[in-house]
Amino acid sequence: MNRSPLKRGLAIATAVLLSAFLVGILARSFGSDPHRVPFMLAGKPAPEFTLTSLRDGSPVRSADFKGKPLVLNFWATWCAPCLAEHPILSWAERTYGDRVAFVGIVFEDSEANARAFLLEHASRYVQLADSKSTVAVDYGVSGVPETYFVDKHGIIVSKRAGPFASVSEFTSEVSSILP
Amino acid sequence: MTTLIAATAAIFFLAQDGRAPTRVGTEPLDAAREARVQTLGGKFRCAVCQGVSIRDSPASMARAQLDKVRELVAQGKGDLEVEDYFVDRYGEWALMEPRKSGAALWLWILPLLLLATGIVIIVRATRGAGGLEPVPPAPRPLTADLEKVRAELKE
Repeated sequence: MNRSPLKRGLAIATAVLLSAFLVGILARSFGSDPHRVPFMLAGKPAPEFTLTSLRDGSPVRSADFKGKPLVLNFWATWCAPCLAEHPILSWAERTYGDRVAFVGIVFEDSEANARAFLLEHASRYVQLADSKSTVAVDYGVSGVPETYFVDKHGIIVSKRAGPFASVSEFTSEVSSILP
Repeated sequence: MTTLIAATAAIFFLAQDGRAPTRVGTEPLDAAREARVQTLGGKFRCAVCQGVSIRDSPASMARAQLDKVRELVAQGKGDLEVEDYFVDRYGEWALMEPRKSGAALWLWILPLLLLATGIVIIVRATRGAGGLEPVPPAPRPLTADLEKVRAELKE
């Protein structure tokens, strides 16, 4: 062979670099849960909505909460974790309700079921029906419960996918939007 | 305490048929636009399913997502705008096939680059060695006995 060692080394180095790059890209996906839905709306304006109140059927707009931080909870009565976290959200509303607006949005459930549950548990905060799940799709909901934390400027700061297991979990999350 | 409340509530609602209601999707558009809706529906992953498109999933949420596709198509949005709507909310996870752009593009290009590099290396190596032609063995020097035999044969 008459090839210079420099050329040969260069070819091998190129092949090794390309292989390493390819393996690096593939390795990025290994170890991550393929079923985990990414949260893309962080730092973006919360989608606007107009829904009807479960209490009296009156229209409620997202603009009605403008200037106040907002906790938006998607839930359903067929979802056991949603029911389990309800006392924590009720406590949170009593504790932070003067500084933060609390809104529940019923996901893929009948209004009658939701109304009966809320009546039974003397829930106080605003509850809305999203009968066609349009708002759920706008927010990128992929299951319930999901809770969105929106600051007073209408920007989504964070999202909790899954139930709050304790009051302290909620407290640490809500602190990011408190004025 | 929380578990007890949840269990009580669950029993309460199971007793009064607390299942999620079946929801009817919006009306189909005209034939041409509805065909577009169905094609696009096959490209997006149902948010609450396991690897099923919103067109093929019977889930109520998938129907809601397909309704959103229908709404966007009815508004005159292009395919890319509809795709962006879902990617903005669910990331590229929403796509049944990854986009051929960004980091994912390298997954398409790199194997081809590696193949091309391998071919170049092989071609150069074979050329440097004088190709694949068989090389004849060098003539061996004759021994004294062989010289003698050759001389006798000439006579």
